[in-house]
Amino acid sequence: MTAATTKANRRAVRGFRTKLSAAMMLVVSAMTALGLYLAQRNVTANANRALERDFQTELSSLDKLQELRHAALAERCRALAAKPRIHAALEDNALDLLYPSAKDELRDLMEGQEPPSDQAASTLHAKFYRFLDGDGSVLPPPNAKEVGPLGATAEAQLAFKNLPQKQQVGYIWADDPALDTVNEVTAVPIFSTETGDVISALIVGFKPLEPGSKTTNAGMKSGIWVDGRLHFPSLSESAKTVLAGKLANLLANAGRGQNSSTIRVNSAVHLLFFKRLNPDSLFPPAYQICVYPLASWSTQLRRLRLRIGGAGALLLLGAFVASHFAAVRLSRPVEQLEIESEHDRAERARAEAALASTADELERSTRYSADASHQLKSPLTVLRAGLETLLAREDFKPEVYEELSGLLHQTHRLTGVIDDLLLLSRMDAGHLQIASEPVMLNPLLEEWLDDLEALPDAPEVTVEKDIASDLCVAGEKQYTSLIVQNLLENARKYNRPGGRIRILARKENKQIVLTIGNTGRPIERAAQRHIFERFRSVGDGAVSGHGLGLNLARDLARLHGGDLRLVRSENDWTEFEVRFRLMESKANRAA
Amino acid sequence: MRLRRLVWWGVILPLVPFSAFAEAIAEGIVQLPKSRSGPVISKRYEIVMNGATLSTQPPLAVVYLEGSFSKPASLPKKQVAQKDLAFLPPLLPVQVGTRVEFPNFDDTYHSIFSYSPAKRFDLGRYRPEERPIPSEVFDVSGLVTLRCDIHEHMRGLILVLNTPHFVITSPDGRFRLTGLPSGHYTLKAWIDSKTTREKPVDLKSGETVHVDFP
Repeated sequence: MTAATTKANRRAVRGFRTKLSAAMMLVVSAMTALGLYLAQRNVTANANRALERDFQTELSSLDKLQELRHAALAERCRALAAKPRIHAALEDNALDLLYPSAKDELRDLMEGQEPPSDQAASTLHAKFYRFLDGDGSVLPPPNAKEVGPLGATAEAQLAFKNLPQKQQVGYIWADDPALDTVNEVTAVPIFSTETGDVISALIVGFKPLEPGSKTTNAGMKSGIWVDGRLHFPSLSESAKTVLAGKLANLLANAGRGQNSSTIRVNSAVHLLFFKRLNPDSLFPPAYQICVYPLASWSTQLRRLRLRIGGAGALLLLGAFVASHFAAVRLSRPVEQLEIESEHDRAERARAEAALASTADELERSTRYSADASHQLKSPLTVLRAGLETLLAREDFKPEVYEELSGLLHQTHRLTGVIDDLLLLSRMDAGHLQIASEPVMLNPLLEEWLDDLEALPDAPEVTVEKDIASDLCVAGEKQYTSLIVQNLLENARKYNRPGGRIRILARKENKQIVLTIGNTGRPIERAAQRHIFERFRSVGDGAVSGHGLGLNLARDLARLHGGDLRLVRSENDWTEFEVRFRLMESKANRAA
Repeated sequence: MRLRRLVWWGVILPLVPFSAFAEAIAEGIVQLPKSRSGPVISKRYEIVMNGATLSTQPPLAVVYLEGSFSKPASLPKKQVAQKDLAFLPPLLPVQVGTRVEFPNFDDTYHSIFSYSPAKRFDLGRYRPEERPIPSEVFDVSGLVTLRCDIHEHMRGLILVLNTPHFVITSPDGRFRLTGLPSGHYTLKAWIDSKTTREKPVDLKSGETVHVDFP
């Protein structure tokens, strides 16, 4: 049975260890997964943010370049308008002379090679320029070569219903569809220096500024959406069609302003940004379109995911080992506890068994002594009654009376022994309940001293007393009296002729200390240890005693919450000390 | 008979301007636009542009008799000088075929040109001591706007007319045209580049016709 229990316990401990390590691994896994999720989300958000920032940077740098260009053009036109020849041409209805007059002023716009795209903004190199007359129509140039060639349809796109009051940016398609070219045009009003009215406008056409020159984002592609058509040279036709469809949809819903989306181009996900290039322009709206392939970001993301996953796995492995050790370590006390508890259980079982048998024995012995007392008392009563009857007769010789009287005395002793035994057995069985009532010590002692003096065989002893008058013991009078009787009887019994008895009683803390000393032969040192044991009579054969008195007295004193001890027994002086609980009566307190 | 008459006219006509008794006279007042700059303090005139309309400021008008008059073989040279960075006079009426000189009285370059349909010319840059004095013959009637390529504010007007009979009004609009031939004509008053008023007149030799342009 014990082996089976041990086995079961081992299993339980092993189960505990497994559960502990499983829980720890679960925690580690959860944390890894959380970290993975957070990192991925972070990376994705970062990628989007970074790309968007790129796009915004591109566009803002584009805006700045455009602003620079516009400022330069505005200044150019202001200077131009101040030129008397331009004035003359415009005001004197000599528009045919406008282009020749402006030719010198605008020569640098058209001269030279087209600059590389990264310098396009600073060089102000134009592809063409045109003047508008006062009605907003394009003035036909006398020599298209000098002002840059432009198809008739494209030229028609430059016209306004009314001359613009401020600069306008527009994007127009070149005539030749095969060229797939979009030109950026800036219309700059020319104000009369006399009246301040807009008398004409200069429209300069440029190659559109291209974003992407400033950053190293190689994957970015950009194009322009204008007039419902997409100019995106870096994309294939099919991709353009897809993008154009998506854009038409997006722009119809988004209105103006910048927006973003994702799009699948060439079976790869791209981030798509678009922003109106010419807000508040009289020209048709045009949008800058930027497409970023997310491929590099997704590989980066994959790499990061792999790294985090690897780290997580490593962590998991480490955690597994650690948790195993930790579990072993943590479960060791539990195992120890288990072993100890098993040991403890056995001990306890043994102790309980011993206790039970002891209790049984005690019970048995108690019952036995009680039964024995009863069995003894009945014949004794009969015997005493018989003896008393005999003593009442008057027809016996005096020797017979003496003998009968002696026998009757013996029956009294026997009754005393039996009473003591009965009391002891009740105490042993724990049936004795001590009431706690005030017992005045002084009258009790007086009573017993009187009784003792009245005894026939009393030796000549002097009694010294020093007892405070108001000492009150907490206890039951019957048993307190028994203790006092026992001690006084002994003091008288074991005294020598002409000896003395000294009784002292005092208060000490919450106890009453009663000392009873007597002269007489002291108790042998070897016997002193055994005087409180049952049936150990202290005295020699000369003095009668059944050997239960001291034992009973001490047990009773202890039941009263006090004690009884031998103070000393030497040099013709034997002294006992009994302690009682002090009854804190109202009278005492008042005194 | 016809030939004799022709010869006679040929003798008489050149003498017409000088023979007062054979002439008709036209006089009157042209209602000039209100001066924008208030009462005239200095006598300095300038050409201003109001919208697309050129006029003198303070306002002046040119009154001339329209008709077909024979062109004289030679016409006296006229001058439009540049003085204190302005044309002087700012408004000059001339007969078709007149040569106008543009002397530079300033201490700086001027570059006088015109893009006007009646006369396009460009004298280029020249200094005050430029000789001969740069000049142009104005042989098409119409209004010619003079400009300087260097001084953009400079503006001058030459009104080229087909008639020898013209006069600039006084600042209050009064005019008096003398030595006019008798006959039925149209008297015109050029007020600004967009405004020319006209009235028919019957001129009789030795008589003065009063014509007002309201």
